[in-house]
Amino acid sequence: MPTHIQPGRRTVLKAAVGGFALLSFPRKLLAEVAPFQFGLTPVFLSNDLELLGHLRAYLSAKLDSPVELVTRRTYQEITALLVSGEIHAAWICGYPYVQYKADLDLVATPVWHGKPLYQSYLIAAAGRTVDDWHGLAGDVHAFSDPDSNSGFLVTRALLAENKALPEAFFKRTFFTYGHRNVIRAVASGLAQSGSVDGYVYEVMRETEPDLVKQTKIVRKSEWLGFPPVASPKSLAGDARVRALQQALVSMNKDPEGMKVLSLLRLDGFAATDPSLFDTIAAKVETVRQFG
Amino acid sequence: MAQRLRAIPVSYRVPVMVALLMVVISAVISERVLDRLSHTQKTYLDGLAETYLDGLSSAVVPAVLRQDVWEVYDALDRSSSSYEALSPVETVVTGADGRVLAATDPTRMATFSQLPDSYRKRYGPGIVTIDEATSTGFAKRDLVYQGQSIGTIHATFDVSHLFAERREILVTLLITNGVLAVLFSLGGFLIVRQMIAPMRILENHMRSAADGVAEPISQNQIPKGDSEVAGLFRGYNTLVQAERERANFAMQLAEEEKLSSLGRLASGMAHEINNPLGGLFNALDTLKKHGETPGVRDTSISLIERGLAGIRDVVEAALSTYRPERSHRPLSADDLDDVRLLLKPELHRKRQRLDWEIIWNDMPELPVRGGPVRQAVLNLLLNASTVTPEGGALSLKANSSGDELNIEIGDHGPGIPPDIAGILVDSDPGPAVRAGRGLGLWMVRRVVDDLGGSAAITKREGGGTAVTLTIPFERETKSNAA
Repeated sequence: MPTHIQPGRRTVLKAAVGGFALLSFPRKLLAEVAPFQFGLTPVFLSNDLELLGHLRAYLSAKLDSPVELVTRRTYQEITALLVSGEIHAAWICGYPYVQYKADLDLVATPVWHGKPLYQSYLIAAAGRTVDDWHGLAGDVHAFSDPDSNSGFLVTRALLAENKALPEAFFKRTFFTYGHRNVIRAVASGLAQSGSVDGYVYEVMRETEPDLVKQTKIVRKSEWLGFPPVASPKSLAGDARVRALQQALVSMNKDPEGMKVLSLLRLDGFAATDPSLFDTIAAKVETVRQFG
Repeated sequence: MAQRLRAIPVSYRVPVMVALLMVVISAVISERVLDRLSHTQKTYLDGLAETYLDGLSSAVVPAVLRQDVWEVYDALDRSSSSYEALSPVETVVTGADGRVLAATDPTRMATFSQLPDSYRKRYGPGIVTIDEATSTGFAKRDLVYQGQSIGTIHATFDVSHLFAERREILVTLLITNGVLAVLFSLGGFLIVRQMIAPMRILENHMRSAADGVAEPISQNQIPKGDSEVAGLFRGYNTLVQAERERANFAMQLAEEEKLSSLGRLASGMAHEINNPLGGLFNALDTLKKHGETPGVRDTSISLIERGLAGIRDVVEAALSTYRPERSHRPLSADDLDDVRLLLKPELHRKRQRLDWEIIWNDMPELPVRGGPVRQAVLNLLLNASTVTPEGGALSLKANSSGDELNIEIGDHGPGIPPDIAGILVDSDPGPAVRAGRGLGLWMVRRVVDDLGGSAAITKREGGGTAVTLTIPFERETKSNAA
């Protein structure tokens, strides 16, 4: 029965690789190889230490190199590091990717529910009666991050299409610098409504049902390109970037990778065409035109 | 109050006082403990609040500067779980414009709303202001950055646990002190009871002693260890013993006195009977020698008759001790003449002279009982004769003027010794009588006392002694006069 033999062989193989790595690599790696720096934005549940541990272990193994996971509070800081080539790759949002498309290469895009797509949600407190997003006028509104697509751009573009600015439509707005924080802000009443990543919202429906239950979805946006992993163009042709792409795309074929994916509630990663993010680029254009 | 307290038996009074003392002590201790506790709690709460506000202000100052609502809220949210000892109920952070940046419960205190005035006015002078009615504490902290106020933290704490702790300690104190008071009172009751138990024994013995039965406390009731009580009991027993001896002695004395009285009575009677007997024998001799002479015979017979009457009177006087009605005949001049007559032989024998001076008023009889007076005068004259040397003179003066009778008997004797004189003139003739001397004077004294009169002894000019009897007249003739 080949299905039985295969995992066994894979385990043996992994053990062999692991053992080899333990015996011969550490001294060389620590002494000579600069760690591969991989930036993370709060597009996903970046506060999960277990996830970070598994991700680093997986990538280190696949890249044959120590991996340093770089996290910052805002999208902007990570984007700046990435565009300037200070880090080798980063999981960023579609919005900064579109903004800095000229300087960035698309490495891979996560696949969620079979597609590399996600939505942006407008949410409000669970007990509130509101028919559609127009009912949110005059709210204190929580955005995720000024460089977030789902947590800012989508709502901003929606208002721009309706000839409105956030400062005018909402009473006040503030940024929480995290999708989870938007949900918390709305759930606690700090904000009456919020713009949040639909993927994060759906994952948290499983991981923190009590928190999510205190909110409800007022509007779901169209499907947009999932926040991708990108690398600076200056590193094009770097072996480790290619290895990263390979590692991400083949993540769903590796037990360690599967652990990461299951924690992320993702199906895997896919190499996608940059045109996947044209809808986001269109939104950027809409906003720019409105002013 | 104090009197009413004293009316309570000591075995209850002591425990009650111990209990009262405990209540006072307990009140003082409780007050001190609660005061200290309250002070400690206040210091503790102030410290906690300071720490909370310090930590929170350093966490929120950058966010407040940026007007970052989320960061402020997140800081508040995180701090509320890490300061559980302080039990923060609500914390509100306002910006420089007084508007709410974030509150721990945004539904109560909406972001960007104006802070109610009640929040600004609720603070007292201390670090934490406590509102006892709602069991809450308030504290605020101005957020200062580069010398400028950029906002304020308003914190509300639940301090009910402090009050609960105070209540708990108060209850513990009350229960502990109550139990101690009861135990001490009970102990006091038992100790006092044990202490006064010997007093009860003593009291019972004294009470029965007052009823006439003084019994010593038996040896097995005398406690061995308690030397004070044992001493007291032994002292009481000694007293009972002494009292018994005294009573026995008094009984013996009374018995002796009775016998002695009988002796004196018999002796007195013999004396009284013996006195006229000399006269009677003289009369008989006269009759034998000169019986034919009619004058002499008549005089002698009359003399014998009077002598026998005298003896009869003496017997009657003796009997009058038991039958007083016999001697109640009033005194007449004859009675004194009888005395002179009875005395005559004795005077003749000793060649003594009797100066006789009677001032009798017109009444034939004086309202004085005759028998006793005659007896007393006779006794005194016989004594005077005894002490006066042969050939000397005696005297008798009687004066019945006014409402009393004065009789003075004089002699030429050497004087009456003081202890014998005492029989006649002392207020209590007892000791002299007991000495067994002066029975004649003792009889006189009895008569004078009986008649309500008095006696005096004086030195006479030219030597000798005078005894004066003063006998008042009886106001009315007694119904039982014979």
